[in-house]
Amino acid sequence: MNTKYTANQIALLTLALTTFGALLAPLATAQTPSVANIVAKANRTAYYQGKDGSAKVKMTITDARGQIRNREMTILRRDDVSPGAKGDEHCGDQAFYVYFHRPADVNKMVFMVWKHVDKDDDRWLYLPALDLVKRIAASDERTSFVGSDFLYEDVSGRGMEEDGHELLETTADTYLLKNTPKDPKLVEFSYYNVWIDRQTFMPVKAEYYDRNGKLYRRMEVLETKEIQGYPTVTKAKMSNLNTGGHTIAEYSRVKYDIGLPEKIFAERYLRRAPRKYLRSR
Amino acid sequence: MKKLGMRLTDWSIHHPKTVLCLATVITVLFVLGAALPSVYPKAFPWLQGVKVDTDPENMLSPDEPVRVFHNRMKEAFALRDMVVVGVVNEEHADGVFNVESLKQVYELAEFAKTLRWTVEDGSEGGVVEADLLAPSTVDNIEPGGPGVVKFEWLMPEPPSTREEALAIREKARRLPFLNGTLISEDGRALCLYLPLTDKHLSYRVYTKLKERVSGFGGGNRFFITGLPVAEDTFGVEMFIQMGICAPLAMLVIFLLMIYFFRKLSLIVSPLIIALISVIWTMGLLIMTGNTIHIMSSMIPIFIMPIAVLNAIHIISMFFDRYQQTRDRVKTMESVMDSLFMAMLYTSLTTAAGFASLALTPIPPVQIFGFYAAFGIMISWVLTVTFIPAFIVMIPDRKLQNFGSSHHEDAPQGTLAKALHAVSGFAYRKAWGIVIVVVIILGVATYGITRIRINDNPMRWFSASHPIRVGDRVLNSHFGGTYMAYLVFEPDESENRSGSLPAGFAERLQTRVRKLSRPDSEIAQAAIVFRKLAEEAPQAKGADPLDALRTRVEELADSASDEQLDAWDEALLFVEQEMQRKEVFKNPDVLRYIARLQETLGASEIVGKSNSLADVVSTVHRELFEGKAEYLRIPDTQAAVAQCLITFQNSHRPQDLWHFVQPDYRRTSLWLQLRSGDNQDMATVIDLVDSFVRENPLPASLKYQWFGQTYINVVWQEKMVRGLLNALLGSFLVVFLMMTILFRSALWGLLSMLPLTVTIAITYGAVGLAGKDYDMPVAVLSSLSLGLAVDFAIHFLEHARVLREKHGTWQAAVGAVFGEPARAIWRNVIVIAVGFLPLLFAPLIPYKTVGVLMATILVVAGFTTLLILPALMRLLEPLLFPESKTCCLACNCTTCIVSAAVAVLLIVISVYQYMSVGWTTLTWGSAAAVLALAILCRWSSKREKCQQETV
Repeated sequence: MNTKYTANQIALLTLALTTFGALLAPLATAQTPSVANIVAKANRTAYYQGKDGSAKVKMTITDARGQIRNREMTILRRDDVSPGAKGDEHCGDQAFYVYFHRPADVNKMVFMVWKHVDKDDDRWLYLPALDLVKRIAASDERTSFVGSDFLYEDVSGRGMEEDGHELLETTADTYLLKNTPKDPKLVEFSYYNVWIDRQTFMPVKAEYYDRNGKLYRRMEVLETKEIQGYPTVTKAKMSNLNTGGHTIAEYSRVKYDIGLPEKIFAERYLRRAPRKYLRSR
Repeated sequence: MKKLGMRLTDWSIHHPKTVLCLATVITVLFVLGAALPSVYPKAFPWLQGVKVDTDPENMLSPDEPVRVFHNRMKEAFALRDMVVVGVVNEEHADGVFNVESLKQVYELAEFAKTLRWTVEDGSEGGVVEADLLAPSTVDNIEPGGPGVVKFEWLMPEPPSTREEALAIREKARRLPFLNGTLISEDGRALCLYLPLTDKHLSYRVYTKLKERVSGFGGGNRFFITGLPVAEDTFGVEMFIQMGICAPLAMLVIFLLMIYFFRKLSLIVSPLIIALISVIWTMGLLIMTGNTIHIMSSMIPIFIMPIAVLNAIHIISMFFDRYQQTRDRVKTMESVMDSLFMAMLYTSLTTAAGFASLALTPIPPVQIFGFYAAFGIMISWVLTVTFIPAFIVMIPDRKLQNFGSSHHEDAPQGTLAKALHAVSGFAYRKAWGIVIVVVIILGVATYGITRIRINDNPMRWFSASHPIRVGDRVLNSHFGGTYMAYLVFEPDESENRSGSLPAGFAERLQTRVRKLSRPDSEIAQAAIVFRKLAEEAPQAKGADPLDALRTRVEELADSASDEQLDAWDEALLFVEQEMQRKEVFKNPDVLRYIARLQETLGASEIVGKSNSLADVVSTVHRELFEGKAEYLRIPDTQAAVAQCLITFQNSHRPQDLWHFVQPDYRRTSLWLQLRSGDNQDMATVIDLVDSFVRENPLPASLKYQWFGQTYINVVWQEKMVRGLLNALLGSFLVVFLMMTILFRSALWGLLSMLPLTVTIAITYGAVGLAGKDYDMPVAVLSSLSLGLAVDFAIHFLEHARVLREKHGTWQAAVGAVFGEPARAIWRNVIVIAVGFLPLLFAPLIPYKTVGVLMATILVVAGFTTLLILPALMRLLEPLLFPESKTCCLACNCTTCIVSAAVAVLLIVISVYQYMSVGWTTLTWGSAAAVLALAILCRWSSKREKCQQETV
């Protein structure tokens, strides 16, 4: 079962969707799908539900001493659905627009990603108080996302093709995949395990191991809901076992297929946020 | 007292076997009690084993506010004890920044991450990987081309070319928080910082690192240091001291006694009681759960020479008298009768000198004083029981050739001749001696005023010690390795007004005006903000702003769709106002800290400082293409916040919380000092104080220090003050005892003179020579007092008896300088030489104690033998009055002086331990002295006193 394939990543900040689970459920129960299949479906479930979506995200960052910091943001996502692809099968380029509401002093700060399947992502950071739009270098996406225990790569998703995948175990509820980076120099982990729900293909848990084989990082999905027919993560937790801190992300006002225009995912909209899509109600 | 004691002695003489058995049994019990739980801690949980304490923090008691604050701040800023590995390469042209060296550095950092073990309580302990500082674990922030900012590991993998290696150096040099900390300013060395979960693991980490490093070839030199390592090493050296110096002292004393008495079977007994006293004392110390500390580790070496002193007197006299009767029991009885009181008093005074250290508020010094005093009293008890019993047990035939048969005849031998010459000189040149002493005292006083109070635990290691060498090398490359931290926080006692923040109304009005303009992009904002302005004054409670926010949230929830954006904006406005509490995002506050850093940086002592201001200005620079002119604090709080959130986009966002707490209400400024001397730390404290005086703190901030370097200053100050009290206390106690012993205040004063002069000379010399007045020097002053007075006691005791026998002092002086002076001199030699083995100790404080103690004793011996005979000649009529009083209570002056001294003594103790004001104490003591004076007057007029007066 050690098929190397282009494949997935879990990610949590994302809004997920699928009509897929229902469609392929009979197949899945009948026989174990190939690793490639699992990876592809999980990737879709985690990042590609619907053609677009929006959600309000509240992050609660707790350090080892129990001190708490909060972040509140709205995430807009729009998928680049290529003309040939069917609406529910696409898994190509995407754009993310992350608008910060709180803390109050970072209000209007924006992080934007153009995620590319075949090349490095483009990333921008807009700092309103300094009136600065900065490109963030592509060199390393595994840095902290605004001080939380999530990484930038968790926001937009790790490219499936960056790891080799191996199905370790199939239980009644989950598939357990071991993912090994193809270029270990680019990342700080030596491998990570992902547990994928057999029904929804939602990645529900991930554990990262460092170069000394020590478990140091863990993602857990704490709560899921079905929204507009799409299984959706509404609460996830990322723990850093090295620092003893963890971050809980809670998703509210999740909406899919809202018809976000392509033009707002552009540099000039960083300074002038598309207020219409960021309203609190 | 004497009767009671003598009975004990008599009983011992007649039951020698019982005494010896008892001593043996108790000793064995102490040995087992201390040794068993140390070797098998699990088998004897109810017993205390050996505990070693090398933590300089323990110089302060655990509930000392400074220490409590230190620990709270360490916790608040997640600062841990660190093992520091300095890497220096003197051979390569690029220093350590070459391919080979950096490869080793990389490997060492990876290796360090694995140094984790399951510790006693089952949790995992060792190196804290998340906070490990090494080139491969820290971030480089730099502009990555126009409009691009870049975060990357400084050294994600070892470089493969010279260019790559040098690039790492250049990157690190640009970052203020790495330059001078991770890499040296001269670009030739670097340091790895390994934070530990618990500093007690440092020895394991140290050993493993040393092992790994020894496998590296090439030109790199590795220095493993840091406070926890120093502490561990210190503990080891302490045991070396106890293991080598104490037995060596025993050997030296043994050889000296062989030289003096030439009879092995006799001198064995003093050695045995020295050993027993040490075992009992240390056994008790360990069994009561006290720790072996730098001070308490010196107890054996203090007890041993003192314990043999009294025994030497007994043997000396037994030696002299035995041939007269050739009866062991009778000789012993007569010897003990003549020596009993003198021995009791010399022991009591010595013990008092040590016990006075309990007046010092430094726990290890208190423990040392208390147990050393205990040991000395134990040795006294043994001297009056065990020694007589032991000597009586020796069969007569073994003593046949023992002892001198000559008696105070013409002086024989070098020592005797020399002492004879001294006696003549002291008598004839009495005035000359007094004048010289006065001059010396003058010079000494000047010297004492020049004393430099200073200490530095690093200097406890000898100059060639690897830790000292590492310290020197690293401080020559880096901004300094001694850390001190300055904490700023708003003074919470102020600003509890319960009102909206200052300027709230004005800012709100400005906002309303701005939003009222026709081009405002938010619909109906003007209306909503006017509503907010109406609501604001009604907000009440402990935090009105919070109440206002709740109200605005309610209004926003029920707002119409048209007004929703405006209410969101209003909520934002309130929350921005709330964030004004986050004072360390305030640009003015950060600029203030930056200015302070600049001022401190100009001093020689502060090699480098790190603060939140550095983080903000560095990120600001990198955001603006890395241009030097942007290395500054931006102008608004939001801009600061956005620099800070940018910093948190790195691999190690948690680093920020070493500088500021997440509520931005407390920040720490890190200072790296080039020297750990208390004097230098004190200079830096003064610098900060004067800066704050000239530049008032913004935002009602207050500041406080923490860090080991600062703690050292605090205990040093406490110690100096405490030891002055101890010195005064022991002086008064000894003086009181002398007055009681001689039944005369004048005699008491006379007996205090030689040691006063001795201490003045010694400490004057310390001041003149520029030797730092550090812990060992300070501690010795009060305890040497109790020791040095012994000579005076013996001298005066004999002088009084012999003066009576010969009629005049002139006639008696020769006799006093016979056998009695010889015994005194033997004592001087035994104790002084007994301390010299400390010179072989690996740590400087032990050496200082050895040298100083020997010096004090020799000087005290000289002053006793010169000043006392001279003064006795000059004061003869006063010292030996025609009329005699029977007892203390009949001599009015002496009685009053004793009473006053006793009251003063109580006052000092009370002041030390209770918070009673000086005014109360002064009035109280004045009243007490007056009352006692009247009592003395009445007492001296009693009929009994009148009768006794001839």
